Amino acid sequence: MRNRRSPLFMEFFDCNASYGALEVPPPSFAENPHKLLEEMDFCGVQEALVHHAAQRDDSPLVGNSLLSEEIQGLDRLHGTWAILPPRTGEQGGVGAFLEGMKQNRVQALWAYPAEHRFLMTRTALGPLYDVMVEKRIPLFFSVTESCGGVSGWLLVEQVLAATPELTLVVTDHGSWGDDRFFRPLLEAYGNLHIDTSRYELDGGLAALCHKYGPERLLFGTGYPQMNMGGPVLTLTSADISDRDRGAIAGGNLRRMLGSVRL
Amino acid sequence: MKNPSRLAAEFMANGRADSCPVIDMHGHLGPFQGIYFPNPSPEDMLRTMDRAGVRFLVMSSHASLVDTQRGNRLTAEVVAQWPNRFRGYWTINPNYPGRMAEELEAFARSQGFVGFKFHPDHHRYPLTGPRYELALRYAEEHELLVLSHTWGESRFNAPGMLATLAERYPHVTFLMGHSGYGEFDKAIQAAREHANLYLELTAAYRVNGVIEWMVREAGSSKVVFGTDLPWFDPHYGIGCILFAKITDEERRDILHRNAERLLKL
Repeated sequence: MRNRRSPLFMEFFDCNASYGALEVPPPSFAENPHKLLEEMDFCGVQEALVHHAAQRDDSPLVGNSLLSEEIQGLDRLHGTWAILPPRTGEQGGVGAFLEGMKQNRVQALWAYPAEHRFLMTRTALGPLYDVMVEKRIPLFFSVTESCGGVSGWLLVEQVLAATPELTLVVTDHGSWGDDRFFRPLLEAYGNLHIDTSRYELDGGLAALCHKYGPERLLFGTGYPQMNMGGPVLTLTSADISDRDRGAIAGGNLRRMLGSVRL
Repeated sequence: MKNPSRLAAEFMANGRADSCPVIDMHGHLGPFQGIYFPNPSPEDMLRTMDRAGVRFLVMSSHASLVDTQRGNRLTAEVVAQWPNRFRGYWTINPNYPGRMAEELEAFARSQGFVGFKFHPDHHRYPLTGPRYELALRYAEEHELLVLSHTWGESRFNAPGMLATLAERYPHVTFLMGHSGYGEFDKAIQAAREHANLYLELTAAYRVNGVIEWMVREAGSSKVVFGTDLPWFDPHYGIGCILFAKITDEERRDILHRNAERLLKL
């Protein structure tokens, strides 16, 4: 029987939160990082790995800088940057990009290949992938992404088949319950992780934990598109051990970010 | 956690709140085509309901969406076995107009059903089409509930189409399944303008800020809770309600009071 009080003291570390004005905003969103922190406080979320809406909707060239400037000094928010293919040189060379990440304490990257119109193949991103593998930098992208006619879990499989050592976190898998898609991938690729922001499936977290352990799951909220409270209460109440709950809530993400060597 | 809600604190501590017996107005039963369910049986669903403090679930079996004769019978069996935990919706499939009179007779003989379930997107037939009329006239005469799937910009079940039916059949209580997901503005307007039309929250709860919008513009008395169980963990939807910026009284309206009124519990 689980400790009935323990969820209240669980350290939630959200791997998938965002702020900033969007092209098409949801009915409610955080315009700035202080508003995001208010929402996190309201829901009992201690820390978040954050991205800025401008990184996708405007440009990585604008959004990466905005994010790093705006979260400076806000220790509970951990910045991520968006990538572009190195060949165009828009973000400098891979070395300069990494140096910028180091200076701005950025430990994770996001890809938006549909919006930013690039391929996620090794031909396009190989040099960056190789450095990410070497430095253990995780890459996040939404399963709703597509590029070059490839989308969803097939895109995930293509990326991992080409670079299986890459630490990949796939977000936003949908309400139709994607287990038939992602379970084979979890078994085939040890570096695949999924966030829990849209894992609404009744009994899904428990079933996955019992079969695969908690290590591949990261607590995420998908805020501001998604209401933070759903993922919070789902994980708090899941029929899993407190040890597994703590790992998903933040332990796995802390370990992942702790292994990054910039 | 700075959320001052006492209900939120109770659910966070225990996974349920004994002072807030939830009623789920939108459920199903059994396996279905495009999704893996860990908990599809009625026994599984009861365990989930107990863990989340769900007192009642009103549901239609997945089988009934495909074959009403087999599927409504399955719903009836489960309702009969657990009359204190399940109520049923009798699914109407407009693609079998020849069966409609027989279906309505079977409904009339059944116990534990509160009304009809329409799923126009699945059946590829418009909500306002003539093949639904017999069932709607019956529902009007007997003042039944009708839960219809709705989705934004669908040519089969957009929210405006349910508003048309609410106007046409004033003694039917319509539940707008998923609150016209994607066209929330039209769904909320329809609920505000029609006393017999309610917003049903399955899946819609997840969209950040939408619960506050519904409560502000349609009122908490016009919103009911649903999960599509065995699809969605009730904790996900309940969590969205608990952490929406509304009062505990409004949360109670959504989680059980409105349903109690509609079901005459």
